[in-house]
Amino acid sequence: MTANFLIGLREGLEATLIVVLLMAYLTKSGRRALLPRLWAGVGIAVAVSVGFGALLTFGPRGLTFEAQEAIGGGLSIVAVGLVTWMVFWMARTARSLGSELRSRVDGVADGAAWGLVLVAALAVGREGLETALFLWAAAQASGESGTPLFGALLGLAVAAGLGYLLHRGVLKVNLSLFFTWTGVALVVIAGGVLAYGVHDLQEAGILPGLHSLAFDVSTAVPPSSWYGTLLKGTLNFSPATTWLEAAAWVLYAVPVMFFYLRANFRPPLRRAEAPATAAAVAS
Amino acid sequence: MPGLTSPKIRRTAGARLAVVAATAVLPLALASCTDNASANPSGTTDGPIQVTSTDADCKVSAAEAPSGNLTFAVKNDGAEVTEFYVLAEDGLRIVAEVENIGPGITRNLVLTAPAGKYITACKPGMKGDGIRADFTVKDSGKQATADADLQKLVDTGVTQYTAYVKDQTEQLVAGTKEFAAAYAAGDAAKAKSLYAATRMHWERIEPVAESFGDLDPKLDAREADLEPGQKWTGWHRAEKDLFPPAGYKELTAAERAAISKQLVADTEELSTRTRTVKLSADKLGNGAKELLDEVARGKVTGEEEIWSHTDLWDFQANVDGARIAFENLKPALQQKDAALAKDLDAKFSALQAELKNHAKGDGFAYYNELSKDEVQQLSALVDALGEPLSKLTAAVVL
Ligand SMILES: [Cu+2]
Repeated sequence: MTANFLIGLREGLEATLIVVLLMAYLTKSGRRALLPRLWAGVGIAVAVSVGFGALLTFGPRGLTFEAQEAIGGGLSIVAVGLVTWMVFWMARTARSLGSELRSRVDGVADGAAWGLVLVAALAVGREGLETALFLWAAAQASGESGTPLFGALLGLAVAAGLGYLLHRGVLKVNLSLFFTWTGVALVVIAGGVLAYGVHDLQEAGILPGLHSLAFDVSTAVPPSSWYGTLLKGTLNFSPATTWLEAAAWVLYAVPVMFFYLRANFRPPLRRAEAPATAAAVAS
Repeated sequence: MPGLTSPKIRRTAGARLAVVAATAVLPLALASCTDNASANPSGTTDGPIQVTSTDADCKVSAAEAPSGNLTFAVKNDGAEVTEFYVLAEDGLRIVAEVENIGPGITRNLVLTAPAGKYITACKPGMKGDGIRADFTVKDSGKQATADADLQKLVDTGVTQYTAYVKDQTEQLVAGTKEFAAAYAAGDAAKAKSLYAATRMHWERIEPVAESFGDLDPKLDAREADLEPGQKWTGWHRAEKDLFPPAGYKELTAAERAAISKQLVADTEELSTRTRTVKLSADKLGNGAKELLDEVARGKVTGEEEIWSHTDLWDFQANVDGARIAFENLKPALQQKDAALAKDLDAKFSALQAELKNHAKGDGFAYYNELSKDEVQQLSALVDALGEPLSKLTAAVVL
């Protein structure tokens, strides 16, 4: 029961976090109107995962292991690309918030609508298939006892609840701090998602080095413990990490964080100066 | 600030890229389907293999299965989340896995497995190497799948043979160290007892070892084949010293130590080099033929182990190596030339059966104990196998 609860919680958190941060961002920047698109993405991902999971469990054909891992890994890496793009988009629009550019940015934000749908769909979908397969298996087991399914669903519910609390908490944070913080969190999470994607591809045999571990702290942080679950669910931290995973994380998180922080703390553009200088040069 | 000038263009480009990426994943998903049919417990007599994973145990209801589609129904009877893996013979490559099996939950693992050796593992708590057991997939005569991609079968075979070479070199290094230590220490009895068995690991992968032109003579040169001025090292140098002919002058302790050291160093070098060797289907096929030629040239004649007379150990090992290469190519061969596969199967079995007649304890009769007729019988079977075996490469590769 506890173990199934923890699985639900972990998978739920993995899917929820990015969505919550994007949600908070939209609310915070006064674009609540775009929220339905985010939800549409989530809805599509859930529907596709559940349907696909049911098909693979009860249908005549299953998915090969390589394909499962390749899909999971591939989606993770695509998701990282999209989240990174969102983070920088947010950084850019955040800087112009409150300025006279605001209205123009809002117009442009409409163009990003499909991006939002996709980001949400990928954030949920990359873990969705695995979770759906698990839930169907739990549902099948419920002939014997309902507790596995109940535990897993409870875990998902708690993840959603935590997501909601986070959302509320984030809304109370001061505006400029919020934007920086959200971006930082998203970069760290995305780094974890990337590393996880790399691991899946290693398991599928598409990338090498599955057995060269950079570190293994699985005795200190057992993956089945509640804190192991939280670390995995929030940061995608794996207690036994391969060199390639670690390298992917560092090579992603460090430069992206650098550019992100630079973009965030760059002094605001002094628009009046530009034409003046241009005029001076011209004369 | 060029970045601020064209945000719209970049945004749409990003979105488009994502759509492209997402649509690229879907066909992959559809192309990689595997049959679920045998997961259905009703109907067929050979239902899923039951796996029960508890926190300390991993019970697999069968230790072997016929090749084709296998279904493992993995039930978690423990308190911790578990995972179930089917690993390749080397214990490293994941053939298939199912993760996130919560307590009380059964999940099916369906895979298409060609004949070969595998390892199953439950991993309660999702850490460590798991509780492992050997699992054998027997050739059912059925093709792995009706529509299996030939290239994939070939690639799988090559991968499996590469793992076999790795395993054999590892055992060779370990065995050689033990042999060398006993020999260097002057423990002739122990060294003699290890000699033939350790060399088997060498003989099984001889074509790969021989592809390194410098190492082969250092490790396996026979006195009769020495070129003028060539320094004699390796196994047969020790052999002569351990099984001395009449009038032979023993080596000194220092000479033995030097030979031992060289033997271990060369073997380790071999092991390192085989790690990066790139095998391919033609190398497997030709290698199998080479091994059989080796048998005909040196083992059937008793020339290889002129002092120890342990030629039949080498014989068996050469046949092992050839058979494994053939078995690994067999799924592909069955698609291209099923008759040849059948013929080879029969002839390998006949030769193996005859060899078994000469088995004694863990080993074999000495070559000088064989009668002339017995040698002739073996020789005839080797020739009979050699003929179809020479067609293997062309049948698979062309
Ligand atoms: Cu995985």
